Amino acid sequence: MFKKTPLAAGVAVFATILFTGGCAVADAGKSDKVDYTAMTPHELAEYLIFEANGGGFNLSQEMQEGGTARERMQQDELQKACSLLGNANPDAETAEAVRTAATASITYPEGGIQLGDWERGRVLAWSGFGYRVGHNYDDHKTREVGGTCYNCHQFATDRVGGSVGPSLTGYGKTRGTSEPILKYVYDMIYNPHTYFPCTHMPRFGASGFLDEQAIADIMAYMFDPESPVNE
Amino acid sequence: MFKKALLALPVALALGATANAQKAPEDVLQALIDADPGSVYLTQSEMNIMMMPDSPALWVGMDGEDLFHTARGPNNVSMEACDFGKGPGVIEGAYVEMPRYFEDTGKVMDLETRIVHCMTEVQGFAADDPAVRQRHGSGSDHMKLQTYIAMQSNGMEWNNPLDHPLEKAMRDAGEVMFARRAGMSDFNCYACHGEVGKQVRASRLPATEAKGEWSKAISWPAFRVGHDNVRSSQHRVRGCYYQMRQAGMLAGSDASIALISYWTDMARGQPAVLPDMKR
Ligand code: HEC
Ligand code: HEC
Repeated sequence: MFKKTPLAAGVAVFATILFTGGCAVADAGKSDKVDYTAMTPHELAEYLIFEANGGGFNLSQEMQEGGTARERMQQDELQKACSLLGNANPDAETAEAVRTAATASITYPEGGIQLGDWERGRVLAWSGFGYRVGHNYDDHKTREVGGTCYNCHQFATDRVGGSVGPSLTGYGKTRGTSEPILKYVYDMIYNPHTYFPCTHMPRFGASGFLDEQAIADIMAYMFDPESPVNE
Repeated sequence: MFKKALLALPVALALGATANAQKAPEDVLQALIDADPGSVYLTQSEMNIMMMPDSPALWVGMDGEDLFHTARGPNNVSMEACDFGKGPGVIEGAYVEMPRYFEDTGKVMDLETRIVHCMTEVQGFAADDPAVRQRHGSGSDHMKLQTYIAMQSNGMEWNNPLDHPLEKAMRDAGEVMFARRAGMSDFNCYACHGEVGKQVRASRLPATEAKGEWSKAISWPAFRVGHDNVRSSQHRVRGCYYQMRQAGMLAGSDASIALISYWTDMARGQPAVLPDMKR
């Protein structure tokens, strides 16, 4: 689904060095004891997550999207490139590579971008259910997946939203519903790295977190004149 | 009865017999607030600050004191025989210097994994004994012991040693893990703890760069009001990975200890609030 070519110079490195040679092993001939101090921090982090005593996480658990937690924990190129930054903003080269790949990942609904049912969108924007695993697994058969949007954004003011992202209160009322603004918001939900490379907002469309209908409904919650967001 | 038991507390707190150990956790928190009065995270709950002198965590710690000094397990020895990094039985200031490297295991261990080691290797409990396996809840031996031991570091500065190459390697791997994005939401720890003054829904978030905030953030064991239980660092790490839609963290894994080594290093020099109270 994501581009497999490296998005940042540093990324190519750790794909190849990991556990291919004897460098990670203290004395490969005599003992199977691994020497953590012989690894780079990246090598050791990967080793601790995936290998040490069978892995630091419950890697065999089955994921809602199929596959196992081992696959969930593996990084795609965007995740690798943006992780290298720590808490810093991307340099120009990384930003451009991430942006380009993100733009290429976006697909649009066949009939064009539509607004769906704002009432369902309101429920979905609020819901934090979906894709959590581990000790309290989200069973998608029992409830539909939400968008977790309120974790980071304020929408209608009758409920408390987060502030990791900007407030979206009155969004449709102030921005209107022109084609470019609908496309902008669709893109932001589908893959926000197309405008904000290495943003902390998830790629809800590109990752498969939300389907087409859910995106249309959440957009209706933001744009429909009847929606409490636009009161 | 509540009040009567309260009178016994200064005794427990004085066990470490230092000025630091006598300073109440709420005073340590107040000092953090005084140093950063604008912090929404530190000042978010006046109610909690008021409740701290009566925190249920203090009782859990007192149970831990009994447990610590009681001869237990097939070997019938107390935890006094166990080395938490400063010599057998010495727990004053031990917790703020963990995770650390232990010669006898050749590993970097956090408090929880060290307690497991002491239970199994020193006291002789089987690895699947409930005392060893039950990690969560105020009633567990683990939370009692962790709280008691951690309380002997209240008010002291976080200062996990990085002199041993393994300590340094684990801390550095923890730094990578902190920034490592993965899973359905692409989150790393900075997604929610990278900027000062943010919140997730109604929860005020601590930021790594606000050192006082981060010191309180990593001050576990803490009584979590919403859970009505005392919780550990390991429990918090697991909870954040859960919210991140990443895999379930295995208790005591080297990955968890690496992460805790880094988060402790980020609070270096700041006083620990032990036990803390959280929302
Ligand atoms: C983890 C936090 C997070 C979550 C969850 C999140 N967002 Fe965002 N969002 C952000 C951030 C941060 C920005 C600002 C972009 C940046 O600077 O990185 C943003 C920006 C936006 C914008 C652009 C606002 C503007 O006018 O420029 C829209 C629209 C948006 N988000 C919608 C949503 C919707 C809809 C959801 C749920 C499906 C959602 N977000 C979930 C963090 C989040
Ligand atoms: C999606 C957002 C999110 C991400 C990502 C996240 N956390 Fe948290 N974290 C929270 C929330 C919410 C709290 C609880 C704050 C509260 O309830 O006051 C919290 C609490 C904490 C605390 C304790 C502070 C307290 O008052 O409870 C620590 C320490 C912490 N997180 C560390 C981490 C680490 C380490 C990571 C990465 C492995 C991480 N977090 C990733 C949202 C997040």
